[in-house]
Amino acid sequence: MTEAATSTVVRADAPPGGQKIIEMEGVNKWFGDFHVLRDIYLSVNKGEVVVVIGPSGSGKSTLIRCINRLEEHQQGRIIVDGVELTDDVRAIDRVRRETGMVFQSFNLFPHLTVLENITLAPIRVRKWKKSQAEERAMFFLEKVGIPEQARKYPGQLSGGQQQRVAIARSLTMGPKVMLFDEPTSALDPEVIGEVLDVMVTLAKEGMTMIVVTHEMGFAREVGDRVVFMDAGQIVEVGPPEHFFQNPREARTRAFLSKIL
Amino acid sequence: MFQVIEPRPAPVPTRGPAVWLRRNLFSSPFNSVLTVVTGALVAFSLFNLARFVLVDASWGQVWANMKLFGVYRYPADLLWRPLSVAAGLMLLLGAMAGVGGRGSITANAFFAFQGFVAVLSVVAVLFWPSVRLLWPLVLVAGFAGYLLGRAWPRVAKVLPWAWALWFALGLMLLYGVTPGSGLLRIVPSRDWGGFLLTLVLFTGIIPSFPLGVALALGRQSKLPAIKYFCIGFIEVVRGAPLIMWLFIASLLLPLLLDVDANSLPAVMRAYVAITLFSAAYMAENVRGGLQAVPRGQGEAARALGLSAWQTTYLIVLPQALRAVIPAIVGQAIGLFKDTSLVFIVGLADFFRVADIVSVQPQSLQVTGGVKLEVFLFIAVVYFFFAYRMSVASRQLERQLGVGVR
Repeated sequence: MTEAATSTVVRADAPPGGQKIIEMEGVNKWFGDFHVLRDIYLSVNKGEVVVVIGPSGSGKSTLIRCINRLEEHQQGRIIVDGVELTDDVRAIDRVRRETGMVFQSFNLFPHLTVLENITLAPIRVRKWKKSQAEERAMFFLEKVGIPEQARKYPGQLSGGQQQRVAIARSLTMGPKVMLFDEPTSALDPEVIGEVLDVMVTLAKEGMTMIVVTHEMGFAREVGDRVVFMDAGQIVEVGPPEHFFQNPREARTRAFLSKIL
Repeated sequence: MFQVIEPRPAPVPTRGPAVWLRRNLFSSPFNSVLTVVTGALVAFSLFNLARFVLVDASWGQVWANMKLFGVYRYPADLLWRPLSVAAGLMLLLGAMAGVGGRGSITANAFFAFQGFVAVLSVVAVLFWPSVRLLWPLVLVAGFAGYLLGRAWPRVAKVLPWAWALWFALGLMLLYGVTPGSGLLRIVPSRDWGGFLLTLVLFTGIIPSFPLGVALALGRQSKLPAIKYFCIGFIEVVRGAPLIMWLFIASLLLPLLLDVDANSLPAVMRAYVAITLFSAAYMAENVRGGLQAVPRGQGEAARALGLSAWQTTYLIVLPQALRAVIPAIVGQAIGLFKDTSLVFIVGLADFFRVADIVSVQPQSLQVTGGVKLEVFLFIAVVYFFFAYRMSVASRQLERQLGVGVR
């Protein structure tokens, strides 16, 4: 954890020695007059798992949605795998191809089967052959534990199964970074575990992940760093042990006391 | 102490006509009175109608003018042309039905139309010498298409192109190619009429569909020029009745294209008006569907790296169109009947022919006239087609509901 000496801005820099894959430098964003992201400095190394926590409305989701340009930032620089996100559509598409995202509401395509959901982008974007795409899709469906659901429609699956399909859909594209936007918040309590298990496996295999979540057990188990956000700012950052045992900021302590 | 309760069968509801009657028609003294009075009134009216239809009506004029109802002044020696188009239609419909298989929506619709063609074929063989062979050929074409579709389902891949080809060739065949007096001589569109014209104008719904989708997408465009053009077009067209656009098209279109009014076929002018009018309404229906697709769908597609255009036509549009099928079919049914407004620009569609027949000298000689007979006849025909569309739409909705959300 480092802090810029000359300012009060908290920098969530990646540990030195690693290879930086995401860099956010002084990012600011407004929704109308509302200043939703304020001077964000965050970088992530290859293979790191960064967990972002914070109260609702603190800007966590907006932060990771900026990383694949689902939201546009107005100030600062965002560089993903060496490509800076600007208005250049080709750069945006390149970043999106290398970045998987899992949403709170799954966002599977209801008119396509599970297999079609997964193979659509590999076939259309990566220009794979259908057979190759389906083979890879089945590999990842097996990895998330539901190969037998391949021919069903999303509407016939439980929430936990749908979210695992969504993860397989992202993984099949072979992303370098996975972004998780509250992946378990819309799930029934008894199926949260099956989704978290998949994420833990993924983290242990060395996938670079940024996870917005309220699952503190997950943060503790696989998080390399935890970032606490409030009111559009990064308030505190550190390894999970430090974070949960000895938080420095009063705001962090107040938040943690509410959810733990 | 806890004990497992074994599942028990649900109580069997009491059934039977007596129970149904008591529950639905005679549940209280007031309802009983209402049932008896309404039943008596309905029976009385139906009896009178049946007496008229079976005894008092003189159907001779309807029967004698079948050619007018069918094609109006289209030359009798060229009837093979519209009937070839009909044969093509049944062939393609049959192929679609064959691919879909028994019980599919297209098969249901196909067999309904095939039944209609079969009745006409029998009548033609018995009473109409000029089309004695042609109507059965239409019937045969339908069955041939069906068998083709059954035997070779991969024909489905070329069907969209076949439909497009049918559409273009059909219009060309109806209109003709050469001046003069040959087999392919031009039939001025003023001579088209009757049910033929109604169907031709109804096909305006086909080009209006892609146009409507384009307008709906354009309306959401980020480019102001496209966006405001689309909004302007939609609002202006919807702001005036179809009958006015028919008028304007027949006067304005020649002016816009800077040609003599008579050099543009009258049917073409009406066709353009109907298509554009329908496109504006189609656009609003489609827009409703676009708004019904959750934002997350587009975001998920973009996050996977699909382009904006791929996201629209692979993810958003399929879901949007599915949501508005009932509205689109409703529009098609409406348009089918609204084609009757073309009488205002001097065209004689099915409806207008009914009017023409009812004031023929021979018709006027019939005591009491034949207005009622003629309009009852066309009402039945309109109903058959409109109702058939509505049935198909319901089946389509039910089918698409499977496995979705």
